[in-house]
Amino acid sequence: MTTAETNTEYAAELPVRLEWARHAPEVYKAMIRLDSAAKKGLDAKLYELVKIRASQLNHCAFCLDMHTKDALAAGESVERIIQLGAWEESRHFYTEKELAAIELTEAVTVLTDGFVPDEVYERAAKQFEEAELAQLIAAITVINAWNRFGVTCRMTPGHYTPGQHG
Amino acid sequence: MTARTTHLDAGVRSALRAVSAAAKKGLGDPGLAELVQIRASQLNHCAFCLDMHLALARRDGAVREAQLDLLDAWEEAGDDVFDARERAALELTEAVTVLTGGTSRTKSGGGFVPDEVYERAAGHFDAARLAHLVALITAINSWNRLMVGRRIPPGSTEW
Repeated sequence: MTTAETNTEYAAELPVRLEWARHAPEVYKAMIRLDSAAKKGLDAKLYELVKIRASQLNHCAFCLDMHTKDALAAGESVERIIQLGAWEESRHFYTEKELAAIELTEAVTVLTDGFVPDEVYERAAKQFEEAELAQLIAAITVINAWNRFGVTCRMTPGHYTPGQHG
Repeated sequence: MTARTTHLDAGVRSALRAVSAAAKKGLGDPGLAELVQIRASQLNHCAFCLDMHLALARRDGAVREAQLDLLDAWEEAGDDVFDARERAALELTEAVTVLTGGTSRTKSGGGFVPDEVYERAAGHFDAARLAHLVALITAINSWNRLMVGRRIPPGSTEW
């Protein structure tokens, strides 16, 4: 952590488990290609909210570090980022389109509890036209993939600089 | 059952295919790859992926029938059905798949990938194979999301 101005003693940083991109460079290259393809045509501000919410649900510290910083750098408000963890009770911070996307993000992220409910899909389908909705599902899928690499390989949060990965 | 939508960006499809292919190649164990992909698809309730990977697993006897029968209860199946390496891979598959924790059926009920699960896998796979195993689990999780999200019916040729 970069907190040079205080003398607070924080817990030690956990070491990275596995430098996966170095050990699987072809996979990494394809993931970068996948990431670019999935964000095509999506509203950047909305996509950051989706990425933050999925990373919260998957407990990915590295991705939270990256995407909250990117969102703030792109002009997102602190309030909207903080309220995202309780969006159902703070709906008035978000547009109906954002709410539908966040709700779909949760359903597509927590598949182990069972499917994507029709009503969730339908609400999203009212806000996004078909191709855009398919792109949103792809985008939710991709942040879920990054979350899996981040958590499993225990990538270290705190060192990201906004815009570092374009 | 009809698909909700069959839309999928061609770039997304081809890039994710490349992730899966590179992961499978780097793991270097096609039978284990199918077991992992079936187990993740069970946890994520993906009918399309179950249908596809069970067919691939049965083709040319790539995976023993006893393993397919007992996969959903691998922890209770004997060592003669799943060896220690396969168990370590399946355990890692479950942990990486159920990151959200909660009520889902897995030992990693609290989310994250527990140290002991990771260490057991690292004891059976070197760093390169482990990186590709993690990638394969991630890739099948991605296909599961694309198929369940769009409700692509099992056996469908349009996805």
